[in-house]
Amino acid sequence: MPLDSTPQPAHTATMAGHLLQTPPTVSPSDNNYHVMELFSQDESLANIPVVEQQRAVGIINRNTFMSTLARPFHREIFGRKPCTAFMNASPLIVDYLTPITELSFMALEADRKVLSDGFLINLDNHYAGMGQGVSLMQALADQQAEKHRQMMESINYASVIQQSFLQSSRRDMASTLDDYFMVWAPRDIVGGDYYYFVKRPDGFFVAVIDCTGHGVPGAFMTLIMASTLKQVLSSHDLHNPAALLRAINQQVKQSLGQLTPEEAGLADHPELNSDDGMDGAFCWFDNASRTLTYASAKTPLFVLQPGKDEVDTLDGNKKGVGYVGTPLDYHWDNHQVHLPVGSRLYISTDGIIDQIGGPKRICFGKKRLKENILKHAGKPMQQQQKLLIDAFLKWQGDNSRRDDVSLFGVHLA
Amino acid sequence: MQNLYIAPTSSTPEVNFQFDRHQLSLRGESYPENAHAFFGPIMQAIQAYLPTLHSTQVTVDVQLAYFNSSSTKVLLELFGLFNDAAVAGNYVTLNWHYIEDDETILEFGQEVADDFTALDFHPCALVE
Repeated sequence: MPLDSTPQPAHTATMAGHLLQTPPTVSPSDNNYHVMELFSQDESLANIPVVEQQRAVGIINRNTFMSTLARPFHREIFGRKPCTAFMNASPLIVDYLTPITELSFMALEADRKVLSDGFLINLDNHYAGMGQGVSLMQALADQQAEKHRQMMESINYASVIQQSFLQSSRRDMASTLDDYFMVWAPRDIVGGDYYYFVKRPDGFFVAVIDCTGHGVPGAFMTLIMASTLKQVLSSHDLHNPAALLRAINQQVKQSLGQLTPEEAGLADHPELNSDDGMDGAFCWFDNASRTLTYASAKTPLFVLQPGKDEVDTLDGNKKGVGYVGTPLDYHWDNHQVHLPVGSRLYISTDGIIDQIGGPKRICFGKKRLKENILKHAGKPMQQQQKLLIDAFLKWQGDNSRRDDVSLFGVHLA
Repeated sequence: MQNLYIAPTSSTPEVNFQFDRHQLSLRGESYPENAHAFFGPIMQAIQAYLPTLHSTQVTVDVQLAYFNSSSTKVLLELFGLFNDAAVAGNYVTLNWHYIEDDETILEFGQEVADDFTALDFHPCALVE
């Protein structure tokens, strides 16, 4: 259901008429003593509409009126003069049915003094009452809060859907790995990062994926990637990560129409709308040989072998998956690394590495991530997760989060 | 053709293309929600500008502390156009400004230099 068609709760004003008040009115022929008397009788009366034969003429504002009349001799000179002397003669006059948003734009137009003087409301071209500037502010604030609430409700529920896609991976991870962590922290509740884990009798497959964008468009992409990955896994061997990337590239390019004119077989340039895809690392770990076969699209893996005092960076190919600029028949490369007992493997999307922070407001960077991995390497993975994320958040400081953050870590016993 | 200036925002860089002096600069950060919407007019201006050049020295200054993945793709397209212009007989200098210690940004610059070999690439460390 589109957000705008949701029924408004009764308390939220949506049109000028909902702000209608009916303070005492005066006619243009009434004198200023009369106006003063009305203001003195009711301390809360901020504005008095001036009405002549059901026709809105002007507004007398308490502060303007009182301060003018307080000047030397003004009371004596003007007391018996018509009240139109100190009236705002060009007030904003709106129809009862004017939407609040339109009303707010009208109020912002020059020389209207709507915030202090309020505005007059007509029904069928006859004076019906007036609205106060502060009521309009309140209505706008309520409207804003209501829109925000609806949007957050929508996004929060979208997050439930997105997380349900991660459930089977979470389950398999928990039942396969003893000492690991998986941080999945979208910047805006939902996001473009995604991970996939599946166990098999002879090993496990893990993918950490960073789709284009974040927020809602990013989350759309993760669903496209998740279903594409699922399809590809039904027809391809997951022992061959590079072939999976290749198959996903082909499917995504074709299903999103992200082909170059040559690939699409078109002579002229078609209108290219989307150019979205993913970066990511795909890995198969073989239990018997303890070999990790990985293929990666712009996503590094970090490995710390037991007894080593340096974290190795394993780079993959520099092409992303599915983009117009990646050829339809592009081949990613499989690489292999032996991971003896006690090895630790980490995979991060660029959210951590590219986050701005620190004293110079520069990227966190691979070097700092590796230093932190090394510093805490001896600790259980759950504890490492906390220490790594703490270091990252400390680096981020009061800078806003730039991207979704995902970090997988496993200690292979 | 007319120079192009776009003031920076928190999520888009300052764009200062002085076509009359052949000096173009991008400074700040780039992570708009829709990079194509932001960079579209910029790319159009560059595509109109480059074909007018003949054996011209163009200086491009880039100082970006952060750019998201969709901005990255557009930036690479942009550098591709500059590279083509250099291949076509112009001299394009790319001054890649990065804050000292920001290896991520330096590394990206070096990848640009590796991919677009016709550009005269100068990494420039900013020491505070």
